[in-house]
Amino acid sequence: MAIPKTAARPVIAGILLLLLAACASGPQFSQMQSSLPALSADNCRIFVYRSTVLGAAIQPSVKINGDVVGSAVPRGFFYVDRPPGDYEITTITEVTRTLSLHLDAGQTRYVRLGISMGFFVGHVYPELVDDAAGSAEIQELHYIGK
Amino acid sequence: MRRAGRPSSTRCDGPEPASRRRALRLLVLGAVLVLGACAFDVIQVRQVPATLETFSGPAPEWTLSQDVNVRLREGFSTLLKSGTTWHAIGRIPQGDVYRTSDQIVTVEASNVYEAAVVLKADVVVGFYLLVEHTFTAADPEVQIKRTIRSP
Repeated sequence: MAIPKTAARPVIAGILLLLLAACASGPQFSQMQSSLPALSADNCRIFVYRSTVLGAAIQPSVKINGDVVGSAVPRGFFYVDRPPGDYEITTITEVTRTLSLHLDAGQTRYVRLGISMGFFVGHVYPELVDDAAGSAEIQELHYIGK
Repeated sequence: MRRAGRPSSTRCDGPEPASRRRALRLLVLGAVLVLGACAFDVIQVRQVPATLETFSGPAPEWTLSQDVNVRLREGFSTLLKSGTTWHAIGRIPQGDVYRTSDQIVTVEASNVYEAAVVLKADVVVGFYLLVEHTFTAADPEVQIKRTIRSP
């Protein structure tokens, strides 16, 4: 059954509005990069970001070693500084997805939050990306940290 | 079906099969949901504990001469890129353990684990999972071409 164009337009506009509302709205990384606090020599920095708007309604918390450090907001990023050591980054939707990684002193790592098909809802999963890809992908994303 | 000693009326016989059908549907739906939920978490990387002994002398270093795809029995394969330089971080019973800063090395199934390559002579025998301190075997083991840099 064909949907009249006049009826489809408000629906599409509504969907776009919902998508926009679900996306991050803070300053872009490229705008605030110079104002980020410098990383101390005995610490490490993890940038966590979600570049896609797919599954925008699904925004699980992101945990590092069990502590909530942020949310998986589409087009958003945040960062945490931690001492060197072993870490587990976890997202929970209808399943738990974990990335385990090791941090060396002074190191900066990039963790992308991807989305895959789920049974009821999509699954948000953390993946480690190399520095070049991570620093490039994060440029246009919006800060959602505290 | 009518049974002896039971009052016969279409009012009593009618709803019973319908409710059974509904119950059956719910049962099937429940089973599908349970199985579906389980299916997302069935792929686990098989791991055995491994104690890493660090090298006391200078750490061997080499460069990979061609791309290598290493598969595990479970999960996704891991690509080791040509031109990456690897340095030894220690030894486990299964072989020597090497890391690189030229690419991300992870082992991935339902979860993702940062890893180092385990080599025996010129053969990748598996991965050492850095956080879990475990070994997971390659299947099959993969012969590599490399240029030894030191020592």
